[in-house]
Amino acid sequence: MDPMRKKDCHDSGESVRVASTFPDEVLERVLALVKSHKDRSSVSLVCKDWYDAERWSRTHVFIGNCYSVSPEIVVRRFPNVRSVTLKGKPRFSDFNLVPPNWGADIRCWLVVFGAKYRCLEELRLKRMTVSDESLEFLALSFPNFKALSLLSCDGFSTDGLAAIASHCKNLTELNIQENDIYDKSGSWLSCFPENFTSLEVLNFAYLHNDVNFEALERLVSRCKSLNVLKVNKNITLEQLQRLLICAPQLAELGTGSFLHELTDRQYSELKRSFNNCNNLNVLSGLSEVAAIYLPALYPACTNLTFLNLSDAALQSEELAKLLVHCPRLQRLWVLDTVEDKGLEAIGSNCPLLEELRVFPSDPFEEGIVHGVTESGFIAVSYGCRRLHYVLYFCRQMTNAAVATIVQNCPDFTHFRLCIMNPCQPDYLSNEPMDEAFCAVVKTCTKLRRLAVSGLLTDLTFEYIGKYAKNLETLSVAFAGSSDWGMQCVLGGCPKLRKLEIRDCPFGNAALLSGFEKYESMRSLWMSDCKVTMNGCRFLAKEMPRLNVEVMKEDGNDDSQADKVYVYRSVAGPRRDAPPFVLTL
Amino acid sequence: MGRAAPSSSSSIDSSNHSSAASSSSSLSLSIESNSKSGGRLDLTTDLRLGLSISPSHYNEFSAGASPRQQPLNWPPIRSILRSAHAGKSHDLPEHPSLFIKIYMEGIPIGRKLNLFAEEGYEGLIRTIGHMFPTTFINSSADRVHSDKYHVLTYEDKEGDWMMVGDVPWEMFLNNVKRLKVTRANRC
Repeated sequence: MDPMRKKDCHDSGESVRVASTFPDEVLERVLALVKSHKDRSSVSLVCKDWYDAERWSRTHVFIGNCYSVSPEIVVRRFPNVRSVTLKGKPRFSDFNLVPPNWGADIRCWLVVFGAKYRCLEELRLKRMTVSDESLEFLALSFPNFKALSLLSCDGFSTDGLAAIASHCKNLTELNIQENDIYDKSGSWLSCFPENFTSLEVLNFAYLHNDVNFEALERLVSRCKSLNVLKVNKNITLEQLQRLLICAPQLAELGTGSFLHELTDRQYSELKRSFNNCNNLNVLSGLSEVAAIYLPALYPACTNLTFLNLSDAALQSEELAKLLVHCPRLQRLWVLDTVEDKGLEAIGSNCPLLEELRVFPSDPFEEGIVHGVTESGFIAVSYGCRRLHYVLYFCRQMTNAAVATIVQNCPDFTHFRLCIMNPCQPDYLSNEPMDEAFCAVVKTCTKLRRLAVSGLLTDLTFEYIGKYAKNLETLSVAFAGSSDWGMQCVLGGCPKLRKLEIRDCPFGNAALLSGFEKYESMRSLWMSDCKVTMNGCRFLAKEMPRLNVEVMKEDGNDDSQADKVYVYRSVAGPRRDAPPFVLTL
Repeated sequence: MGRAAPSSSSSIDSSNHSSAASSSSSLSLSIESNSKSGGRLDLTTDLRLGLSISPSHYNEFSAGASPRQQPLNWPPIRSILRSAHAGKSHDLPEHPSLFIKIYMEGIPIGRKLNLFAEEGYEGLIRTIGHMFPTTFINSSADRVHSDKYHVLTYEDKEGDWMMVGDVPWEMFLNNVKRLKVTRANRC
């Protein structure tokens, strides 16, 4: 069916359908195959019939900012949704920049879903506040509920998890990642009924209390479809070995602590268990690792595509020896304890590498720390030409190094460089790091996400505005010289969706230069910049479809707007804002 | 730590707190504490002068400043492990605290311990016992030549490594710089 013809019908005002129109059933069948929410948005804009077919056939809805829309609007438009992904707080809340009790509570969503989405199966939340009562409500209200994923959420305790384990008879996924959870005890795990067998994904790596190991072992044994198991660091090597025997089919494994002493016999058994894990694609955990036990892992590493060593303080030689056994690695996360030598080993052993994240082992101290430097990054870029995602924490960098890196790897889509000392120049030339990011945006035409650091003037932002035509997310801290920098970005990056800025000298002129742009963006965050309340009020007045929120801290000058969060919304101003959030 | 020597060329703020927010002293200079001639200018400060940047934010964290004065909530790394042991890492403390580093032999990543939160040696040993997989032997017990047992030692102000427990608790607090859990057969 030619969409153009549909359009003509619509335009000519005919209310009678043209005979050769697609029947709804066929259209809905076809649209059911369209999964990407961006594609579905496009589909819904073609014409009214397609809008209707799309909304009836949509089963998964993604809401990138929970305050951009209300639950009532969502359920009204999409009556058949079974899976919801919701993101709440601004990303800088990860670094304590958002005061507690800010909002993004899942409760009001669950109440509406409880009424309209009785068949809800999946809920994936990021940076939302979730209470134990909400989790209990969830467990009791949706008989088909299958998958719960909580990432960077807060407000709940292990009691809530116990409710989920007790009542969700069809649960396939329980994914508790990196949350601010009140970990009362590990007894939640024992709440899974003895006849419960449907679990496919279990991740409790970041919970601290002991779970009952026998209960866990029985659970793992009887859940034959278990695919993903990530245990916490209290699980010993010996216990891990027993779990591997129960579940050799695992595709993703997160180990516990890799430290406790093993006898020779226990070590051989462990190695044999790993040998039986032929399907392992993803490996993580390895906290407190005793390097002598790492070789037990080697047999299971052949098919690894993602190795997450961000909890394992490995030295360079240990990493090098391990990487020899991981020829297919595409994603690697490490701590900077591996140092430049470790990164050289990555360059030598991982030709298929696409993503590298190097985390700082000691970010808040500047004692005698080593970490990684620009040489390690350069070494990786020579060896891993497919690299397109990098997150790199370091204490020194040069413009020349970055230029070399992007010349070797021009396909970067995500370039996040964090030079940990704010405003640090190129340590060899003592110049600002402007030319580094110029090289990045000029060379990497596919760049979608960028985080800048180091000493930066407005020039960096001129380059970004001029060259970064595919940029969607930009993170800026302690950079820029004047309003002009931010104006360049707002004026120049057509695909910009998220802009987060802290501690920069950007003021009202910069804020207001983008006021038309903000409606095409998800959100803008500016904290500790030079924006005033009057500037924010002006923006709010000019753009009624934006929510302009200011978070006030006590004791600060009333005319300064310390933290500004601007986002588009069809739901109007928040009705649940706490007293310290002023909606203008 | 660094004592500011008076200089006629620019105003100097010897503390790195943000109180010096006025435009006249918009840049803080770091002075080497052991320099007798009044210190050297950090090059990055020159750089910022050259670029005419003078926002009040930059007071708090000139690149050459005392390393411990990192700005709040920076670098942007989520401290999951920190929050596991109650409280946020970088809020200003409501009670006085004495955080010192503690390492265990064989584990390259150390921990931090607030000595003021302990009531004495017993509390200290108990807390450390939760942090690391270890069993302490009493310093006055017979030496056990085994690498299963550990002894708690500390570095004092003079740079010497001593056994913990010999001096009164208050004296220990005054002298301790950091702690180390070492194997008993090394003592």
